[in-house]
Amino acid sequence: METFRTLIETLSLLVLPLLIVGFPLYGLLRRVPVYEAFVEGAREGFDVAVRIIPYLVAILFAIGMFRASGAMDFLIDLLRPVLSPLRIPPEVLPMAILRPLTGSGSAAVVLDLIRQYGEDSLIVKIAAVMFGSTETTFYVLVVYFGAVNITKTRHAVPAGLIADVTAILMAIYLVQWLFA
Amino acid sequence: MLNYIWAGLIIFSLVFAVVSDVRDLTRDTYRNGDPLPVTLTFPESYRPEARRQPVVVRIDPATYRAFYRTESVPDTAYAGELVQFRTGRELRFARDVDVPEPLATIRRVTSSRENDLRGTLQALTFVSDSLATAAVLFAPVRFVRLQAITDAAFEFARTAVTLALGLIGLLALWLGLLRIAEAAGLVQHLARWTRPLLRPLFPDVPRDHPAFALITLNLTANMLGLGNAATPLGIKAMEELQKLNPRPDTATNAMVMLLAMNTASVQLVPPVLLMAIMGAAINELILPIILVTLASLLVAIVAAKLLGRLPAYRRTDPMHAATDHQNQPETDA
Repeated sequence: METFRTLIETLSLLVLPLLIVGFPLYGLLRRVPVYEAFVEGAREGFDVAVRIIPYLVAILFAIGMFRASGAMDFLIDLLRPVLSPLRIPPEVLPMAILRPLTGSGSAAVVLDLIRQYGEDSLIVKIAAVMFGSTETTFYVLVVYFGAVNITKTRHAVPAGLIADVTAILMAIYLVQWLFA
Repeated sequence: MLNYIWAGLIIFSLVFAVVSDVRDLTRDTYRNGDPLPVTLTFPESYRPEARRQPVVVRIDPATYRAFYRTESVPDTAYAGELVQFRTGRELRFARDVDVPEPLATIRRVTSSRENDLRGTLQALTFVSDSLATAAVLFAPVRFVRLQAITDAAFEFARTAVTLALGLIGLLALWLGLLRIAEAAGLVQHLARWTRPLLRPLFPDVPRDHPAFALITLNLTANMLGLGNAATPLGIKAMEELQKLNPRPDTATNAMVMLLAMNTASVQLVPPVLLMAIMGAAINELILPIILVTLASLLVAIVAAKLLGRLPAYRRTDPMHAATDHQNQPETDA
């Protein structure tokens, strides 16, 4: 495991410099006007960033309101009775609900759980695996689709959420099985 | 579905905020209009003529719990300041002290700029020169949640713009590099190599289309935990897929597949943020993270494929509609 990790980490350290230097170098060898090509491509960066603003505002303000309303606590109370028969610790529920919605919010949940239960607790391990194995689905959705002005997302949300639910449940059971 | 989730978040927030505020009013959570009994100690004995003087505020835990009907307990003593006006006296807790709920909420709502809890002092009775009992009346607090959701809406709208503008540099860098790679023919090469792997997942994308290369780069960056590179590469891949899309406002099956694979996010290296939070404890979690992430990727792919076959999503498929109804030439020659 340790060697595998070192290997992957070295690889991920090497990839970026290689790409950043490699693309222009290869372009130069193929007699591409590299500087002009770069500037021409980079110009799009601004347009793309500006294009995603309305989508980001739409989703983020709704998520912000939801978090501020305290509806989360209400949802947790509502779900609590079904959790114990499923062997789901209620403490990780905020994480499960917040993870697809906000990255910074769910990171704050992990920090909060560490403060309450300590790094070695089962709860924190479950929350950390949830955080590490899923993405902020709605952020990815609005950024990727917003960049090309897609508003009719079809089955993207259900597919993403099904994957999230799988990851969340699997994190809960796998960590309990491995460490409990 | 996004329409319902989006509207649901907003409507649910409002409903919940109203319910919670009405409950606070009926339960009288903040005891609006009732003063809280406190004991004041004057370290330098009380000076009647002084406009401002330091005091130590003590709140009896039992009284506090009974007064606010709460389980939380105040600290044994708080530093504070007594301010005397011609019209009356005001008690100010020191800035940023750790007060329990509901005092913390009262402070946040009534004195957010200074972050010092303030109240009008009533019934000041001296036991000795340096000891007195009194009662503090805080400003009334109503509709906390309603204010909170409005503030959050404004704050997050600003955050969204900051986030988007923060992406400009990264996007410019990667889109610039990719333009070089395109001009040099590197993207086309990569597309030819990775097509056999990706083709079953993206059957609507023509052979040797540059989208294959960008999807590969995007997924690789994701796998290696290189979020900074993954997003611009993914956006570029979406742009390539959009070029094949006959109906530019509707996602094609290929786009949904790419998105699903990104939200499932195969990660061989845990996110930097998580490593920073967990420190060395991350080591034993790497294997579970990889297993979970692989499983969710598999589920994402299957879900995107199967959901795409449902009649409702088949009908809205831009590629399907283009070939069937408008009799346009197929893009995949």
